[in-house]
Order: sequence, then structure tokens, then C-alpha cells
Amino acid sequence: MSIVQITSLKKYFDSVRAVDGVDLAIDQGEFLVILGPSGCGKTTLMRMIAGLEKPTAGHIEIGGEDVTDLPPRKRGVSMVFQSYALYPHMNVFNNIAFPLRAQRRELKFDKRAIREKVENTARVLEIDSLLDRRPRQLSGGQRQRVAIARAMVTQPSVLLLDEPLSNLDAKLRANARDELKDFQRSSNITAVFVTHDQIEAMGLGDRIVVMSEGKIQQIGTPQSIYDDPANEFVATFLGSPSMNILSAKRFRFGFRPEHFLPKTLHDNPENSRIFHYYVKRVEYLGSDRLVYGYVQGHERELTLAKVPSNVRVSLDIEGDYEFAVHNRDIKYFDNISGQRIEQQSLAQAF
Amino acid sequence: MSLLSWILQNFWALLVLLFLALVALRIAWRIHRFGATRAEFVYILRRSPFYLVVLTFCFFAAAPFLIMFMHTFKTDGDLYRRPQPFVFRQDPTLEHLDALFNNTAYLEFIRNSVVVGIAVVIITLALSLPAAYALARLTGRWGERAGILMFLVYLVPPTLLFIPMFRIVVLLGLKDDPMSLIVVYPSFTVPFSMWLLSGFFKAVPPELEEAALVDGYNRVEAFLRVVLPLSLPGIISTIVFTFTLTLHEFIYGLVFIADTSQRTLSVGVPTELILGDVYFWQPLLAAALIIAIPVGLAYNLFLDSLVQGFTMGAVKG
Repeated sequence: MSIVQITSLKKYFDSVRAVDGVDLAIDQGEFLVILGPSGCGKTTLMRMIAGLEKPTAGHIEIGGEDVTDLPPRKRGVSMVFQSYALYPHMNVFNNIAFPLRAQRRELKFDKRAIREKVENTARVLEIDSLLDRRPRQLSGGQRQRVAIARAMVTQPSVLLLDEPLSNLDAKLRANARDELKDFQRSSNITAVFVTHDQIEAMGLGDRIVVMSEGKIQQIGTPQSIYDDPANEFVATFLGSPSMNILSAKRFRFGFRPEHFLPKTLHDNPENSRIFHYYVKRVEYLGSDRLVYGYVQGHERELTLAKVPSNVRVSLDIEGDYEFAVHNRDIKYFDNISGQRIEQQSLAQAF
Repeated sequence: MSLLSWILQNFWALLVLLFLALVALRIAWRIHRFGATRAEFVYILRRSPFYLVVLTFCFFAAAPFLIMFMHTFKTDGDLYRRPQPFVFRQDPTLEHLDALFNNTAYLEFIRNSVVVGIAVVIITLALSLPAAYALARLTGRWGERAGILMFLVYLVPPTLLFIPMFRIVVLLGLKDDPMSLIVVYPSFTVPFSMWLLSGFFKAVPPELEEAALVDGYNRVEAFLRVVLPLSLPGIISTIVFTFTLTLHEFIYGLVFIADTSQRTLSVGVPTELILGDVYFWQPLLAAALIIAIPVGLAYNLFLDSLVQGFTMGAVKG
């Protein structure tokens, strides 16, 4: 059952088309990640769901109700901002209680009910010892938890998260990611998470929405998006290092560096395509060797190979080798539109 | 009186003694805290020049007020016989203070000034808080232009405006009434406060307001509960500035009000205590000093937020 239904949503800022016709259904209890490069419209899309931005055209339904023209407070959503936006003049307790006090009029919360709810939420997020502190006395990780607690305390139908992990250092980020996912799963809340970090997206999302230039490029599980990109943008945006793209006469084709391996490592070379590969440089990255070089016939297009370090193949600089890619790992794209072409239809075209 | 005159006659000696006592106390405290070691004395000696410089500056800053204070108690004979500000050659007298409070409407001037000041502060805040907020958030071409336009109003000098303003005051039937000043003063306090406040509002991240909107508040509530508390230093500086602006305004106060008992301090004191070319120096100085002290204290108390107000305006225009 979808809890958020977005239909042909558009937002233009003067001549800039920030969001340009988005259709999206978000399911109850899912963790949806909106992924895209900066300026792709993902934050604008989220702000429109929250009600902070008025759409130029299109509709948003939350819980079956059309909320397109409703202010944020009447939408039953809450949001964690990139900067956390904690109120600096209130202590942690009052920060978390702030949304409850707004609802007090309708829901008749008394002081004790508020205290109870705040303390329960704080306990779940393990910040119950910090309730008397001011935001500036907290570390980045603690601030993030307070922001999530403030967003969760009203039990919203949708939790919106705008790059909440980007202000944490790398070590803390992995930890926070893990906790966030656990927390979402145990509370069974619908979460929409905006990020430009593909590792975050792959690790957190039940489904990922890849956006570029205001449009949705592909929606799917992390695996389907990685293995089955709908177009060249999605193929190259995901994966590090990104997919190698080589030009042919009437199409382009690509393969991921980790699938581009010395021929001897392929147990079934008949199903593979063989390339003559000239090695220019080798980077040793611990678990992998990253090889920079050129494929014969494509000397202008730098091609990378990611060879696991535990594979005992010597790769010398300025050496020529035979590399191979399994046929199923080669993706074909239209020369002009960049859309994915199935191999069969390609065979017919030849 | 004898104690006061003794204090006044030995004023400078007492001041030096007080200072020495403070220094001794400070040194004693340090020794008590850190022990009478050689290093401690070296430290004290090394710091002394710094305090000497500070003291010199303090003296220069305070000297006018000290001289005003002493002159208040001088007899005419002492004051006009070859000026000698630092010593009493005749016994100090309270007659000038007595004249100030009993022969002039000084207390009424104070009352009028305070009433006008407070009323103008309230009107100014009521008008400039929402206006400054709108200017701070209304970015883009029109917001900026509107801001500049409104600030231009502040630059039109009262010397140009007092005649047309006087017509309006008469038309409103407010001549000789401090009410006229309450009506007119916001014409220059509002643009100034708006400029000052919008700098503070701009410094509040819009995300905080958006968070409040998502948390279930409307825009007015978000402003009252989040933006306003965070702009408190700006509001305090606005109050202090507005109050002092009204306190030293002269030309409107002079033109609109002819009735002595209705005048404010800045007009009443010079018109009552300067007759032609006769200056009644002692009560003049006393009147100025009495009102300067609370204002000075207020400035000092809010010094940090005042400085912040100025620099913020300087950076953000």
C-alpha cells in the first residue's frame, strides 16, 4: 500500500526546472532513498513532500489525502535537516518536546504525557542522559540523534531525512547508518532519505530512486539498479570506480571495472568478450588493484579494471594483456538517448 | 553635609586611595591563591605596565564625568575665579542641585522623556520587528531595493522635516503635547531599527524556521518561538538605540512643544538653564550627568550585543 503518492510533480524556479515531472509511489514502512548528484532536484522534491516548497504543477497525496496545498504542519510528516536545525536556545528536552507542544491543542497532551513521550523517544535513541544539555554542547552524532528523536516523537506517517549523515565523520557515519536502518525497521516507519552518497543509498535503501536533472532515471532495489541500469547515467553514477563506457559505431557499451578481468580468470571464455588491454598504471588499494589502461581500438577512452589483490596475476606497467568480460556483464546504450538497449534487439540491428 | 564636603574636598586623594586599595586587594588575592613565590611577584611586576596603561585610558574616559561631578558642587565664586577643576577653594554647596530640582521642571523633563522613550520603543518594535523580518526573508531584487529605500528615509534630516511635521502636529491637535513626539519620533527610529534588526534576522538560519513549520507551527508562531528568542541581542540593541535616539533628539522637541512642563530633557534642560548668554553651569552639568549615568550603565550592560549589532549591520549591509 502506498502512503505517499506523487503525480507529475513539477517545480520551476524561473527558468530552472528543479523537478520536472516526477511520478512516485512510496510504500508504507519502506526505506526509500532518493539518490542523485547535487542540483538534480532531490532536495526540492523532498521539500515539496514536506510542504516547504510549493509545486508549480502536480499533486502529492499522503495517506490518501491530497496535501498539495496544505502547510507542512497539516501533513503528518516530519523532517531531519542536513544541519539538524536544532533550536539553539532550547535544551535537548525542549527540542524534542517542541513538536508535541504544537500538537497539544488538538491532542490534549498534558505536561506529564509530554515528559513521558520525550523520555521514551530519548531512551530508544540512547540520548536520555543528554536531556538537559544545549545543542552546542553535543557532538555531531548526538545532535543527529536529537534531530531524529525530535522528528520521531510525534510518530509521523512519513519521516523525511535530508542528507542527515553528511555532517558526520566517516567512521561515525557507518555506525549511524547501521543504527538508522535498525531504528527504521523496528519502528516500521516510512522513511524517505535524500543523499548524493551512493554507498549510503545502497546500504540503507529498500528501494532507490535515481534522479538527474529533475527527472527520475530509475527506481528499484539497490541490486537491480546496480546490475540492471536503465540508462547510461544510472550506469555511470553508481559504482566506484564507475562503469567503463566505450563507443561503438551505432551504440555505446559499458562494463564495470570489477567484471573486466584477465582472460585466464574467466572459467568460460566462450561466453566472454576478449579485449586487448594496454596497462598504463596500476594502483594498489589493499584489497584490490586498480588498473588504468586502454582497450585496443578505444585508445582515447580510459578503461579501468579492478582486479582483486588475492588473484596472483602479474600486471606490469606498459604491458599488453588479454582481458575479458562476461557477455551478460556488458550493457549496451543508445548512442543518442543513452537509454539501455537489450542485446537481442541489438543483434537484430546488425 | 560636612561628610559630603569632606569627601568632595579630598576627592582625588580618596580616588587614589581607593585605587591603591583595589590594587592591594588584587595582589593579596593572587598571593593567597598562588603563594608568595618569586615567580608570582615577577608575574605581578610584568603585568603592572599593562594595568597602568589601562588605568590611564580609564582616567581619560572618566575625567569629563568626574569634572562634571565636582563642578556640580562648586559655588559660583569658586567656579568663575580662574577655572581650577580639580580642587575646591571654597566649601562645596548643594544649592545648585537644589535649584535644579526645585526651581526647574527637571523631574517633569525626566518623566516626559521616559514616557516618550518607552512609548517610542514600543511603537518602533511593533513596526520594525515584522518589517525587518520581511526584509530579511524577502531576498532577491525587490527585498534589497525596498530595504535601501526605507533606509533612505532615515537619511532625510529633521532640519528639513520639522516645518512640515509641525503642520501635521498642529493638524492632529498635538501641539504642546509630548504625544506629538511619540507620533513623530518613529519616523526616524523605525528605519534605523529595521536596518539593525534585519541583520540579526538574516543571521538566523531559515532551516530553523522550516523545522518549526514541519514541527507543527505556523509562520507567526515559528517567528515568535524560534526567530525572536534567537534575535534577543538584536532586540536589546534596538531598544537601547531607540531610547537614546529619542533621549537626545532636539529640534522636534523644541519646535512642537512650547509649554515648559511638557518638554523633554534634551530641550528642557538647555532652555531652562541657559538664559541668553548666561549659562548656569553647575545645574547644567548636574542635569547632564544624572541622565548620562543610567544610559552609560545600560550601554555597558549590553555592550556585547550592541557591538554585535553594529558589526553585523556592517557586514550584511
